Amino acid sequence: MKEDVKRKTIKDWVIAYSDTLYTWALNKTSSVETAEDLVQETFLVAFASFDKFQNRSKPKTWLFSILNNKIIDHYRKKSTISESIEQTAEQQAIRFTDSMFDTNGKWNSHETNSIWDNEKHLLDDVDFNEILKFCMGDLPEKWRIAISSKYLLERTPDEICQELGLTTTNYWQVIHRAKLLLKKCIEKHWK
Amino acid sequence: MNRIMMSCKKATELIERKHDSKLSLKDGFQLNMHLLMCKTCIAYEKQSKLLNKALSKFFQNKKASEQELLKNEELKEKIISKL
Repeated sequence: MKEDVKRKTIKDWVIAYSDTLYTWALNKTSSVETAEDLVQETFLVAFASFDKFQNRSKPKTWLFSILNNKIIDHYRKKSTISESIEQTAEQQAIRFTDSMFDTNGKWNSHETNSIWDNEKHLLDDVDFNEILKFCMGDLPEKWRIAISSKYLLERTPDEICQELGLTTTNYWQVIHRAKLLLKKCIEKHWK
Repeated sequence: MNRIMMSCKKATELIERKHDSKLSLKDGFQLNMHLLMCKTCIAYEKQSKLLNKALSKFFQNKKASEQELLKNEELKEKIISKL
């Protein structure tokens, strides 16, 4: 009986959420085959670890947390980047954003770049958006997923924390550092 | 930094936080104090807001062009058959 309930619940979730998960996975991996595999694995994991779910989060949030981990794993395998190297990339990004401040947390450079002055011009500029895209690609994978979840999926901080396994404090640090990195990257490439 | 004046690093983190959630009274007060005295952080707030707009717009365009919900009925059936 319990097994039947579980199967029925997961089946309902497949019907309700697989298209959303698939669209997200395809957008992240650009491969139909990979996206299908990842979504399928997501539901199989959900089925296997259903007892852990316990209604603490929304089903969709829980499924996204599984899928996001699968996507991160996929990138690691694809680029033969081991977990330690991915962590190194994140540590490097942390060190870089730290280096923008001195030991007291004051800006190291008080120069403000004038490129930010012309808002209207900037937002409509094709090149600016190309640079933004490039700079997004430069973020560590986890940070990029956090930014995409925030601006593309318009998730709340709580949902993103659950999906990426971050504490609230961690989340704000990730967003803060990602924004600092994007700012620096744009200033470097926008001429 | 003394007790009243928070660091620029902390101030810029609070600027990011302020976009999505309400700051505590103490944090809000300290941030405002900081902004009264720090031109670089005032500039950062402006840049950060612009970046928010740019990111929203960037993703909206992406959404419009490729983020329409893709239906995959075959995948649904395949998964259900494996449960």
